[in-house]
Amino acid sequence: MSKPSFLRSALEGASGLWQKRVRHPGFPDVDAADPERRGQALYRRGRYRMRAGEIEAALEDFERAIELLPDFAEAIASHAECLDMLGRSGPAKPEYEKARQLWAEDRGGTPDRSYVFRQQGRLTFEVESYELALKRIKTGSFPLSASGNALLARGKPEEALRFYEQGLKVKEKDPAILALKGEALSMLGRYRQAVDAFNASLNGNPRAPETLSGRAIAFAAMGRLDKANDDWRRQFSLLPETQSAARACVALRLADYEAALPELERAIEKSPDDPYWRLYRLTALKRLRRPLGAALPPRGVAAWPRPLFDLLAGLSAAGDVLAAATTEGRRAEVLFQMERFREVAERAPPAMIEYAAARNELSQRR
Amino acid sequence: MFSVIIYGRNDSHGYNLHKRAAISFNALAEVMSDSHDEILFVDYNTPDDHPTFPEAIHDTLTEKAKKHMRILRVRPEQHAHLKSKTHLVALESQSRNVALRRSNPKNRWILYTNTDMLLLSRNEGESLSDILGALPDGFYQVPRFEIPEMLWEAAFDRKDPAGNLAKLRDWSMRFHLNQVVHNFMPMKYDALGDFQAVLRDDMFAIHGFDESMILGWHCDSNLAARLALYRGRVDTLMDKAFGYHCDHTRVAAANNKGRKTTMNSHDKYIWNVSSPYIPEQADSWGWPDVEIEEVRLDRDTSYERYTAGLSKSIEPATVPFTSTSCEWHLFDDLTYDLSHTLPFVCDQMLTYPRSTAVMVVGSRAEFVSRFATAWRGMGLTGPVLVPRECHLDLDHPAIETGRFADLLRRTDLFLFEFGLTTQKDGDPVRTGREASPTDRKQLKIVERLFRQAASTESATRPAGRRTPRRFVGVNVIYNKYWPIFTDYVGANINPFCSQVLAGFPLEVPVTMKEKILKFRKRTG
Repeated sequence: MSKPSFLRSALEGASGLWQKRVRHPGFPDVDAADPERRGQALYRRGRYRMRAGEIEAALEDFERAIELLPDFAEAIASHAECLDMLGRSGPAKPEYEKARQLWAEDRGGTPDRSYVFRQQGRLTFEVESYELALKRIKTGSFPLSASGNALLARGKPEEALRFYEQGLKVKEKDPAILALKGEALSMLGRYRQAVDAFNASLNGNPRAPETLSGRAIAFAAMGRLDKANDDWRRQFSLLPETQSAARACVALRLADYEAALPELERAIEKSPDDPYWRLYRLTALKRLRRPLGAALPPRGVAAWPRPLFDLLAGLSAAGDVLAAATTEGRRAEVLFQMERFREVAERAPPAMIEYAAARNELSQRR
Repeated sequence: MFSVIIYGRNDSHGYNLHKRAAISFNALAEVMSDSHDEILFVDYNTPDDHPTFPEAIHDTLTEKAKKHMRILRVRPEQHAHLKSKTHLVALESQSRNVALRRSNPKNRWILYTNTDMLLLSRNEGESLSDILGALPDGFYQVPRFEIPEMLWEAAFDRKDPAGNLAKLRDWSMRFHLNQVVHNFMPMKYDALGDFQAVLRDDMFAIHGFDESMILGWHCDSNLAARLALYRGRVDTLMDKAFGYHCDHTRVAAANNKGRKTTMNSHDKYIWNVSSPYIPEQADSWGWPDVEIEEVRLDRDTSYERYTAGLSKSIEPATVPFTSTSCEWHLFDDLTYDLSHTLPFVCDQMLTYPRSTAVMVVGSRAEFVSRFATAWRGMGLTGPVLVPRECHLDLDHPAIETGRFADLLRRTDLFLFEFGLTTQKDGDPVRTGREASPTDRKQLKIVERLFRQAASTESATRPAGRRTPRRFVGVNVIYNKYWPIFTDYVGANINPFCSQVLAGFPLEVPVTMKEKILKFRKRTG
């Protein structure tokens, strides 16, 4: 045995003492009864297998995940990528497209609120990637904020809050993370604590339109409409004119239809296919007692909010439209069009435009 | 549909830059099919006396590339406030933001890439405009593949982008070029900065690139981190297009010093990013209030301006050639051929901003007036400042006269002409003519003003100006004004035939003591 190879062999043996071996992660939820948990676990195992080069096995996992959750865009995109890697690019192409379409159909939050609420999809891939990053990055807040955001966007504020708290340990008093914490607390209904977090954030960065929006919503939910309106007015003044859709939303919350109207017209010009800007424009015209003209949704809008256009055009009865509203939010939208503001103020989620607008309508009546 | 944003300067960044860039510009234009598409090239901090980088290589660009390209020129003076804070001569964040601010608002997408990339759609014949036009809102990346230096350098024809893309389609399979390099999120892929497609509205909402990143590297990763927060997801376009990079590591670029490379902090700008927004630069990113010159390659080109200016000031030659001489016995003869010299003088001017104010101090009134005609003819709009002390009787709409001391504070560029007042156009050149008393009197004035301007240059700059002003000397080679001019101005050695020297004032003029010491050393 030559000297170098002896040394190499000795070092190879010794290196095992300190080199951590890659552990095969467990995926206990692949047998869960809940299709969501099971689908997500299958997706995660598929991604793991994909990284390990077991493409066929990954394909199977993705297929099972899609079977359970047909709108699971992440699984469809990963399935497409696997097919593509195997040279089956033809069948992969429509799947890539389908994934993108699914994400696009996922209507995000309004543009005046925190960017977090505009994130689309399950974000499983992102959460998984950031978990991987967190194993390596011990002194960075980014993976913590990003993971928290993905969870918040998926309606898991409690889990999100934990990530934000950890993030604040890395980046103490960071205004951005404090604002995210405020949003998580607000979603949990802990409005007073949310206002505290927003206050702390605004101390660090007073010119943050989205933080003002978060605090305004929390104030409104606490019944402090005057304070909420102050924040919305300040937010409106801070938003650049280029962000017409966001400005329109703020004006609508204030029930200031005169201010909302030109912004809505600019928003329609920018996004002619978005039905809500047209709907809100009609709403503003109606509240200002001006003629509505043709109350038509953009072409291709067959489902919600089409019934609201029919209601405004007098083509459907209010009761029928209300019956067609299947969620709490949609009911609030119909009730607002029916000018039943008290019910909206009592029942709608505080983050909705209609909630704030109804509260302001009631206050103006007084 | 989309604005491609790239940046650079007229230097030699990395190996065979000119070929790489021409290949890339032409290939980018080749995948454009919408009339609003544009290639925004920010020419950052190229010296004022140089043309912009795309102008320097325009003959290697296709008509389509020239049509789609808008060059935004950031002058050294506009970079001067950052100069002491960075070792780099071109700044990525500032460049990309300057372009973003001035991008076509009709375009929904911004594509960030670099001047050595080729984008190949996977569906042959599909343009990038078609691809981006059909995409839902999002933030998209594609993996970058490398092209070995040998391949692009030897086999690509700069002016045949379609042929180059066809070759690439073939090579990618034949030589196994397509290897996706995955990366940690939010980067998704390695070398992500070579394809980041972002909504223009999103870029405005997040306040552009982070302009505090002035040490180089990671600007792309910082953008990815902020957009990953903003959008939640980083999407891929790998089913639609691949990006190919002309590898250029034979020679390290200026920003690559191996392990000693200075970089923006990885931790600060990637792993500790907590917001998509940069409130500190919300109102200032992309320098909204700074006037940035725009240069086109498809119209009003430098060559067109140059010929327009000269055509107005000189007539074509009527003889096959004229002659002069640089023999030493003619050292004191200050005659020169004005029509021959003027093209070389104008050559020094054309790359300056159109609003430049030039001070002209001269002996020959005809030189000054014909120069003023050429100046206006070249589309330069700034005044030609002539000190009253010159006593030149001139009536030209471009010329403004005033006290030398007052004009100094308004001047951006100096032009000193050392000729003979009495020389008329058509007089013989360098035949041993001696200066008359009138000539000598005028030359004394020019020399005195030159010494004064050059030695006080830094103290007499216009308010707010940081960078030194350039001096151009006419008829300062192989005559007594050669040493005088170069005592004060750091000029190159130029051929006698051009009659022109140019440079920036020396911090300390060459002294008599230095000259004596140099002479003693030479004579042993």
